[in-house]
Amino acid sequence: MITIDSLTRRFGDVTAVDSLTLTIGEGEVFGLLGPNGAGKTTTIRMLAGLIGKTAGDAWVAGCRVGDPATARQLRSLVGLMPEEAGLYPDLSAARTLDFYGRLYQVSAADRAERTERLLTMLDLWDRRDVRVRTFSKGMKQRLTIARALINDPPVLFLDEPTANLDPEGAKVVRDFLLRLRQEKRTILLNTHQLAEAERVCDRVGIMQTRLIAVGTPDALRSASGDGATGDGATGDGATGDGAAGAASARATAVQLAVVTDAVVAAARNAVRADPAATPRADVTVAGNTITVPVDKPESDNPGLIRAIVAAGGEIQFVTGIVPTLEETYLKLLSSVNGAGDPAAR
Amino acid sequence: MNWQNVATIARKDMTIMLSRRALRIALVALPLGLAVLFSTIIARASIPADLLPRTLNSFLFFFMIYTGALPASIASYSMVGEKVERSLEPLLATPASDGEILLGKGVAALLPPLVAMWAGMVTLMVYCDAVTHSALGYLYFPNWTAVLTVFCAAPLLALMAVGFSVLCSARVSEVRTAQQLGALAAIPGAAIYISLITGAFTLDLASIAVICGILAVLDTALALGARATFNREEILTRWA
Repeated sequence: MITIDSLTRRFGDVTAVDSLTLTIGEGEVFGLLGPNGAGKTTTIRMLAGLIGKTAGDAWVAGCRVGDPATARQLRSLVGLMPEEAGLYPDLSAARTLDFYGRLYQVSAADRAERTERLLTMLDLWDRRDVRVRTFSKGMKQRLTIARALINDPPVLFLDEPTANLDPEGAKVVRDFLLRLRQEKRTILLNTHQLAEAERVCDRVGIMQTRLIAVGTPDALRSASGDGATGDGATGDGATGDGAAGAASARATAVQLAVVTDAVVAAARNAVRADPAATPRADVTVAGNTITVPVDKPESDNPGLIRAIVAAGGEIQFVTGIVPTLEETYLKLLSSVNGAGDPAAR
Repeated sequence: MNWQNVATIARKDMTIMLSRRALRIALVALPLGLAVLFSTIIARASIPADLLPRTLNSFLFFFMIYTGALPASIASYSMVGEKVERSLEPLLATPASDGEILLGKGVAALLPPLVAMWAGMVTLMVYCDAVTHSALGYLYFPNWTAVLTVFCAAPLLALMAVGFSVLCSARVSEVRTAQQLGALAAIPGAAIYISLITGAFTLDLASIAVICGILAVLDTALALGARATFNREEILTRWA
């Protein structure tokens, strides 16, 4: 549904988007993560036909981006929810949707039906004739979602849909995004909310002018320790190099009745059995729990458990510890930027 | 050009515009008030019959100042207001072309003040005819000069004001600043009016035709400039 090939945008000497290559399938929800200035909004603007590209190519719903011949068709197939609501304070919710519906050439009957359906779903139907000026931020955000859907687009671009919303407002929007996901629309979601991306997106891409990594949230987390992209999709242009050398954050926590030196030594030896393995942090002990860094839990854990049992350890619980998407994100950005916490930049 | 899009955008802008009381007053009360004021002056000032045509022309032409100022103010609000509300991006994301958006906004800025002006001018002409008929012995209005002023010079001046405002709007980000700059569009009308009342030129068919010609050239240049300024790329990357 969306194919991006080496898409680049420069503003003077500044490269906002650098050789972005990505494919988003029909019905897929793809999250684009990255810090401010990473080029996420520029990417969406290019794909929505709002601004031109400097180099590369992209196709959205069969329309070539930047081709004047299909520019109008491209915009009619896309729904855009920009970062700023951009609503007219003196129009009512219903008038707002009617206005945009007309511009998308939606018939009067469809406009009326969609206006009622969308405003009802987004809990704004009772306020349909009230001026937007009086709406809360959450209500405005919901109205912008309705606006993006008035033309029933197969492709949706959502730029920070929950930015600046309180937790309740953010939840309403997130729930609606899950609903949209069920409708099998192709969605490109720009977000800073990693939990949101994890919950809503089929795949995520981490971007900082160029795509650093791409994959499912699970795959990215798993891959963050061994320098591969989450789904091995290097053809998408994400090399995954950013993760190389980063210490694995995966570990197995084993709770025992009693932790003895023999058990700790056995655990340490068990995970050092593979001399080719990446050097890891040592086994740590906290109370009755020992935490053992592992490369591949599926293959490392059986040997680890056997060794602990053989050393006389009485196992109560075994828990896998995987890095959060946030940790993965920060690690990938950090390794691209050099040392340091990217969030602190 | 999709005229339905132009009409939709114009209607939306006019709805927003007419929801403001101050603007409604400016559109309705001011032209009609001016028409009544000028007619009353003509009726009570005992102006000699040989000076009446020039006085009537100058009063009619006074409306031209207003014709320049009001569309400029509305166009400034229309453009910079969208900029302030950040509503241009979703508008530009629709299938409407840059030209349709610009034209829709232009029509919305042009039409209400122009209709108000026409109403004011026609009221002035009717009242003035009523109070000067006995002194002149004939109905002064309508005449070709007045028709050309009302239906040609006034729209051209209003169009110039809109084009000028679009160009100003690209450079400012506050409605008030845009309106103040847009008010400069009243200067040509004021200059012509002052020239008229000081006797620098006489408002006859030839002079009004020349004025219309100059305005048409200016309008074309401003329209091309506005069209070049008002494009998606420019708005989203530079109008900040």
